[in-house]
Amino acid sequence: MLLLAGLVGSGRAELTPEQVTRLPAPANRPVSFRQDIKPILEASCVKCHGRGRNKGGFRVDSRETVLKGGESGPAALSGKSAESYLIELVSGIDPDNVMPKKGSKLTPEQVGLLRAWIDQGLPWDSDVSFGRMQPQNLTPRTPEVPDAKHGGLSRPIDRIIGRYFEANHIARPPSVADRVFARRVYLDVIGLLPAPKELERFAADKGADKRARLVKRLLADDQRYAEHWLTFWNDALRNDYKGTGYIDGGRKQISAWLFEALVRNLPYDQFVAQLINPTAESEGFTKGIIWRGVVNASQTPQMQAAQNISQVFMGVNLKCASCHDSFINDWTLADAYGLANIYSDEPLEVFQCDKPIGRKAATKFIYPELGDIDAAAPKADRLKQLSEIITGKKDGRLSRTVVNRLWAKFFGRGLVEPVDDMEQPAWNNDLLDWLAEDLVAHGYDLKHTIEQILTSQSYQLPSVGLSEQQEKVFVFRGPSVRRLSAEQFVDGVAALTGNWHAKPAGEFDFTCVDPDARNTGSGLKGKWIWSEAAAAQSAPTGAVYFRRIITLAHVPTQAMAVVACDNSFTLYVNGKNAGSGKEYKNPALIDLRPHLRKGTNVLAVAAINSPPSGDKTATNSTDNAAGLYFHARLRQGRKILDFGSDKSWLWANDKDEGWKKPDFGVTDWKPAIELGDAAMLPWKLEKKLAQTVAGTVMQGKARAALVTADPLMIGLGRPNREQVTTSRPSAATTLQMLELTNGKTLSELLQKGAAKLVENGLSGRQLVERLYLQALGRKPTGDEWRLAEELIGSSVQKEEVEDLLWAMLMLPEFQLIY
Amino acid sequence: MKTMNRWSRREFLRTASAATVAALGAGYPRRLLAAENTTDKIKPTADTVIVLWMAGGMAHTETFDPKRHTPFEKGMSPEGLYSTFPTIDTTVDNIKACQGLEKIARVMDRGTLIRSYTAGDLGFILHSRHQYQWHTGYAPPQTVAAPHIGAIIARTLGPLSPAVPAFINIGQRFDVGEGEELKAFTTAGFLGSEYGPFNIPYPDQAAQTVRPPGGMSPDRFQDRNKFYKRLVAASPIGEFGSDYQKESLERSFANAHRLLSSPAAKAFDLSLEPKESVKKYLPEGVDPGQSVSATQSRDGSYERQTMGRFGLGCLLARRLAEVGARYIEVTTEYIPFLNWDTHENGHTKLADLKKQIDAPIGQLVLDLEERGLLDRTLIVLASEFSRDSLVEGKPDKKVKDQVPVPDKIEDMKNYGMHRHFTDAGCVLLFGGGIKKGHLHGKTADERPCKTIEKRVVIEDLHASIFRAAGISPKLAYEIEKRPFYVTRDGEGKPIMELFG
Repeated sequence: MLLLAGLVGSGRAELTPEQVTRLPAPANRPVSFRQDIKPILEASCVKCHGRGRNKGGFRVDSRETVLKGGESGPAALSGKSAESYLIELVSGIDPDNVMPKKGSKLTPEQVGLLRAWIDQGLPWDSDVSFGRMQPQNLTPRTPEVPDAKHGGLSRPIDRIIGRYFEANHIARPPSVADRVFARRVYLDVIGLLPAPKELERFAADKGADKRARLVKRLLADDQRYAEHWLTFWNDALRNDYKGTGYIDGGRKQISAWLFEALVRNLPYDQFVAQLINPTAESEGFTKGIIWRGVVNASQTPQMQAAQNISQVFMGVNLKCASCHDSFINDWTLADAYGLANIYSDEPLEVFQCDKPIGRKAATKFIYPELGDIDAAAPKADRLKQLSEIITGKKDGRLSRTVVNRLWAKFFGRGLVEPVDDMEQPAWNNDLLDWLAEDLVAHGYDLKHTIEQILTSQSYQLPSVGLSEQQEKVFVFRGPSVRRLSAEQFVDGVAALTGNWHAKPAGEFDFTCVDPDARNTGSGLKGKWIWSEAAAAQSAPTGAVYFRRIITLAHVPTQAMAVVACDNSFTLYVNGKNAGSGKEYKNPALIDLRPHLRKGTNVLAVAAINSPPSGDKTATNSTDNAAGLYFHARLRQGRKILDFGSDKSWLWANDKDEGWKKPDFGVTDWKPAIELGDAAMLPWKLEKKLAQTVAGTVMQGKARAALVTADPLMIGLGRPNREQVTTSRPSAATTLQMLELTNGKTLSELLQKGAAKLVENGLSGRQLVERLYLQALGRKPTGDEWRLAEELIGSSVQKEEVEDLLWAMLMLPEFQLIY
Repeated sequence: MKTMNRWSRREFLRTASAATVAALGAGYPRRLLAAENTTDKIKPTADTVIVLWMAGGMAHTETFDPKRHTPFEKGMSPEGLYSTFPTIDTTVDNIKACQGLEKIARVMDRGTLIRSYTAGDLGFILHSRHQYQWHTGYAPPQTVAAPHIGAIIARTLGPLSPAVPAFINIGQRFDVGEGEELKAFTTAGFLGSEYGPFNIPYPDQAAQTVRPPGGMSPDRFQDRNKFYKRLVAASPIGEFGSDYQKESLERSFANAHRLLSSPAAKAFDLSLEPKESVKKYLPEGVDPGQSVSATQSRDGSYERQTMGRFGLGCLLARRLAEVGARYIEVTTEYIPFLNWDTHENGHTKLADLKKQIDAPIGQLVLDLEERGLLDRTLIVLASEFSRDSLVEGKPDKKVKDQVPVPDKIEDMKNYGMHRHFTDAGCVLLFGGGIKKGHLHGKTADERPCKTIEKRVVIEDLHASIFRAAGISPKLAYEIEKRPFYVTRDGEGKPIMELFG
């Protein structure tokens, strides 16, 4: 019997002569490493002994490592197959010790080939290695850009693609027409359809650089850029305004941080650093979704952080490796835990397939060549180190991953696909590298890269239908035909019908796009007021009535009131109940405009100071603060005419008859006492008030990206952001069509929209032309005129307008981006 | 995962990338069959699957697994609390049920009762997590959007009739209660929205879901479609050539139109069902005329919400099965602390709730049988876990209590099964190849009334449902280059004893 004792390092007992005779005979011919041996090693050994893995300390990486062997000594003795341990193992002569451990055992023919190979001296083709593959797309590399000779194209993107086209025998077709180009860039930069007047101006512009200027102008529209790109980043950063996990505090939004980062075009390296090593505002991403109850070990918050960071920023899939060494790529359990460990206060217990293996995780970064993390350092330092490695100069993957995502968005397919598998080669690595290095050279300014791509000739190529892609290997011919996203579709409907969303959801802070706030700080005009000076400490319970008269030269284009009252209030405008509020922490937002008129207007507030904590009998308690805060945001065109609560307001303890009306004789009402400004204690409400006031910049016109998903958006593909989403399927589905054809959401939008359009008093002809210009950027053709006029007829009726709107929204020309 | 080892990683990746272009184009994950199942042809015994979902935790000892009857006595101990309802006979000698389920008892001889279903151990009991696991076979969180079994069936088998959506979900609202958590598993997930649920929260308004939108007459609807087709034809888009986007728009538009204008759409309209028949699906004394047009308020009030809504859902399911539905789920609806989710007043609430479900379920079985459809329609009645008066979780895996239990029961408020019990559960199966008049599994007669024979877990229950439908439990779909199995890791084994 074979003695297996004392194997480590010290050789082992040889096979008995009898056993040797039972081994399959060596193949009786010269073996080819490439044809005969390589496939066997790949199929049966590499999984555990190659690509960085070394079970039993043994690697099949190269001839040297095979001869060297592992914990059991050399695996092969050149020229002596019968004495080679490897042969003993694969022949199965000891049923308790057979290789490979998993999968099919080797056939006698295969063993014979290996024997012959060993006897023939282990020939090994020099270009073959089973060692850890050099990761693709990881190190910075500046490619050589062909000179401008190529088709007279000046931009590097086009020169690289020019050379690619030559190599693939593709003739470059002419660039698309102005109208097509304009629609593409409007949708790609700000997510909106181009307005007819702007299209007209663009078409009339004779400047040679007009397309580049258009791109620049759109990129400079910070608010609309942010509103559009919010969708892309919400998907990728798994951020939403409602969703699983919020119900018990297991999840946190990053909406305010993200929106502001987009408005300010935060450089991408800082953007990523702030997500990896977060502040309170940006921690929601790495915080993950924390579930109550028992959770699979691969889904603890630290593991989620590792998976999400590696997927979104490094284009790497650690999900499989979170449970076991991955079967679909070379990542190991140790890799996933090494990264997750950085997010843990204490070293994590390692679980394999949800069972502990009795080991703690060792901290390490997934690409040690980029740097290491000091495992002994406190967590705050580790996070800082991690963010420095990922956003550091040596890391070429960060830039490559993001430029690839941008390219995929604009062309319908990345340079590398799938976009979350950045270890695949690109269909043109020079292009990928050039875009990445260019981004880095320009301070990680994503808008710069967007501009580079959108002003290239390649972007202006006619679009290509994917059904034309017959080759097994992808060949680039131009941008793919794409489809409006759910948000672009809903915003498109809003543009046609005037039906935007009433107000944003989410925890946003719009001070960054509020022109007034930007100029004058918080822009808050009011002071906390009450009937007595000490009210911020304590005031009697009961009601106090306030009045304020305002005189308006015109009814303003927007008039909204932001009101907070400790404890509750009702607001009357010219005698009508305009709104109320019960919780000062959530300031009420009230539309004043419907009640206002030219000339004299009266604001009347019934403010109530309730007894503390539901004690209905207490009066004059010391803990009972009271105060009213009022800020009116009035816009007249571009002018802001705000005012707020102050001593010009009058108060009384009793409400006499007619106190809400303008003609009320107020002789004995006294001026309100100003308690202090918005930031004062005990309310400390400045931020919330300023946010609410700033939010009025969107009032009645919030875009789809800023609100929670409705059935229409969900039907059109807005994902449930419980997982990271880096791309959305765009093909139409039957359920989608049902939603579009008879769903309530769209139907109501169309009804309201048609009613408004009919009110406009446009003639049928004017209406049809306007809709075509807005929706498709062109006038109707002769046939289209005839059809539309047949439907609309001589008198413009609501139902026909609804039907025309609907049909136009269903047109492929509307829903697709050509 | 055994099957993965049969592939060399390279081969797998190579085929993946060749398929990637096509998959990218179509946008849908491709299907993988484990090697050992390509020769295993499963003959389906059901064309349609109807799941009757008793959301909220249906107490087994109060429904289909009666223990001794312990009537209310002021001051009784919770330990001595067994069934709060008397036992009744069914048409199967060795199967007894609880009072209140007489009509289902009458059709017991058409089906099989499992008494030994046990839910997973997910720690602190959250309905949403157990419901997620029941409906997808996996415990959340998952790294990909896991598909609902309805979506799996829709994707694998396709619709039974092209005019009826393959996956229909009846009776659940998503804008109240834990809507977000429900949405997380009521989805086709990574399979793509083509296979997502067609949601009908109010069965009496189902006709609206397949009718032209608000206030549009059928004539106007048809005219609108005609106009649209002509407008498309007139559009100069031809110059841009053909592409899969345009094709998918055209194809899905045609599908939707076919659905909306087909005779099968009439099945959605409950007002077309004879009143005498509707009555049989409602609790006694409820006027069918009133139910069909009742406005459903949204304040969570039990009485108003459930006035026949489940019963009408069953009726709708029958009508849809008649015109070729593939997967239908009818739920009593999950709203925290309502319906089966009894944290108090268990007995009183269940008395009412059984009135809601008894007649319609019994009638559904009889009606399908009468129409010759029962043999090919699998009906599954189930819940995410059971209830007990004392144990939260399992006796050997107790978790944090959520409902206080007094030392003595003084009040009807505490009389009932209020804690979440995961060590037993009833699943009722009819039709679709299932044995008739059969009992599977057993629970203890003494407290805790846990499973003591033939434990059934979710992957095996799903494997059985899939088997009836003709789907292998080892079937997998490829997502992010990895297989995602229709039962957990492909481990589900159909319980062959259940089949006739």
